[in-house]
Amino acid sequence: MTVSKKAQAGTMQSSDVMVFVEPAPGLVIEIESTVKRQFEHLIRAKLEQVLRDHGVTAGRVRVSDRGALDYAIEARLETALLRAGRT
Amino acid sequence: MVAQILGRAETERARAFVEAQGLAFETGFDELVGVYERDALVAAGARAGDLLKMIALAPEQRGGALLGTLVTELVALGYAAGHAALFVVTRPEHVTSFERLNFALLASHGRAALLESGHGLAGYLAAHRPLVRPGTNGAVVVNCNPFTLGHRHLVEQAARAADTLYVFVVREDRSQFPFPVRMALVREGTKDLSNVRVLDTSRYAVSAITFPAYFLKATDDVAEIQMELDAVLFAEGIAPSFGVRRRFFGTEPACATTRAYNAVLKRVLPRFGVEACEIPRLETGGAAISASRVRDALRRGDLAGASALVPEVTKAFLASKDGAEVRRRLLGGGGSHG
Repeated sequence: MTVSKKAQAGTMQSSDVMVFVEPAPGLVIEIESTVKRQFEHLIRAKLEQVLRDHGVTAGRVRVSDRGALDYAIEARLETALLRAGRT
Repeated sequence: MVAQILGRAETERARAFVEAQGLAFETGFDELVGVYERDALVAAGARAGDLLKMIALAPEQRGGALLGTLVTELVALGYAAGHAALFVVTRPEHVTSFERLNFALLASHGRAALLESGHGLAGYLAAHRPLVRPGTNGAVVVNCNPFTLGHRHLVEQAARAADTLYVFVVREDRSQFPFPVRMALVREGTKDLSNVRVLDTSRYAVSAITFPAYFLKATDDVAEIQMELDAVLFAEGIAPSFGVRRRFFGTEPACATTRAYNAVLKRVLPRFGVEACEIPRLETGGAAISASRVRDALRRGDLAGASALVPEVTKAFLASKDGAEVRRRLLGGGGSHG
């Protein structure tokens, strides 16, 4: 599937992540995080796994993370993808 | 509870709250948001386009989760309205609070700081990297509303004193001549100068973000703070990436806002290793050529008078169908900058 419209989920609170998804020609992941230096690779791996699980092949995913644990990242991204609808 | 503040009574409550925190309440926002606890307002903030402003928290509530609650709501509303990146102007002591929300500092100067969410400036610089040439380079930042013989003179003089001259055209579209037209006229009108590169400023110079006063015509203290932020952002954030060691600008005989801005550039830029070079304006008939003189002539319907002050490329545009449309709007319109 591809992201067909803009959607978001999550918050900017500590230990949470705010996820923004929108249509894009390819798959783009942008990560802002207060723990980027230590954990960017793990955040990216988690996002890629969730996108794979949902069969997402195109869309821009931007996350603003404040140290969310991986199940929170998964839940927020999943919610944003469901809100964006599937095509 | 987070809620959008609507209606006169609630807006007045928010005004009293914002003013009690020592901030000026300005109307002219897209959304005003409040956080309530047991019916009492404990935080408020507004979004105007891509700028967050009037972010106010009750003193006993600072340092906790409240700022995150408020900014989440403003960012969510902003994203829904089409703004992927947002800016905030705040006091320097609050910079770390916003950095904890993943905002990145663009410029901080004494009394005010400017931050953005997203990687806007880094993306802008990366996108323009192919234009960057080695050497001792120069820059001019111009609105060119429209491109005049005065601008041409400034660019020519500056190009002689720099290895490569970057001409930054103000992207903000609040001028009578739309941005794509201003950009095209400058490109076409300087293409014979081999060491000149023309590019747009995005939101990072003389925009409503760095410099609302330029568009609002105020010359008070707030305006000066904004001008200083704009100058710091240019000197620290933009100039180094382009190898810019000199910024050129014309003397300003008429407009008080631009004159104040020139004074700020002269004061601030050298502190960051950028030389501020003021170049005397080109004159005709005993008065400096300026875009506002051109617009004044057009407002009087004096196309010949206007054409005498502009290069061929602008003359041709004024005579075109699109140019006639701009002239028609000017005939009934008000003032702004050049």
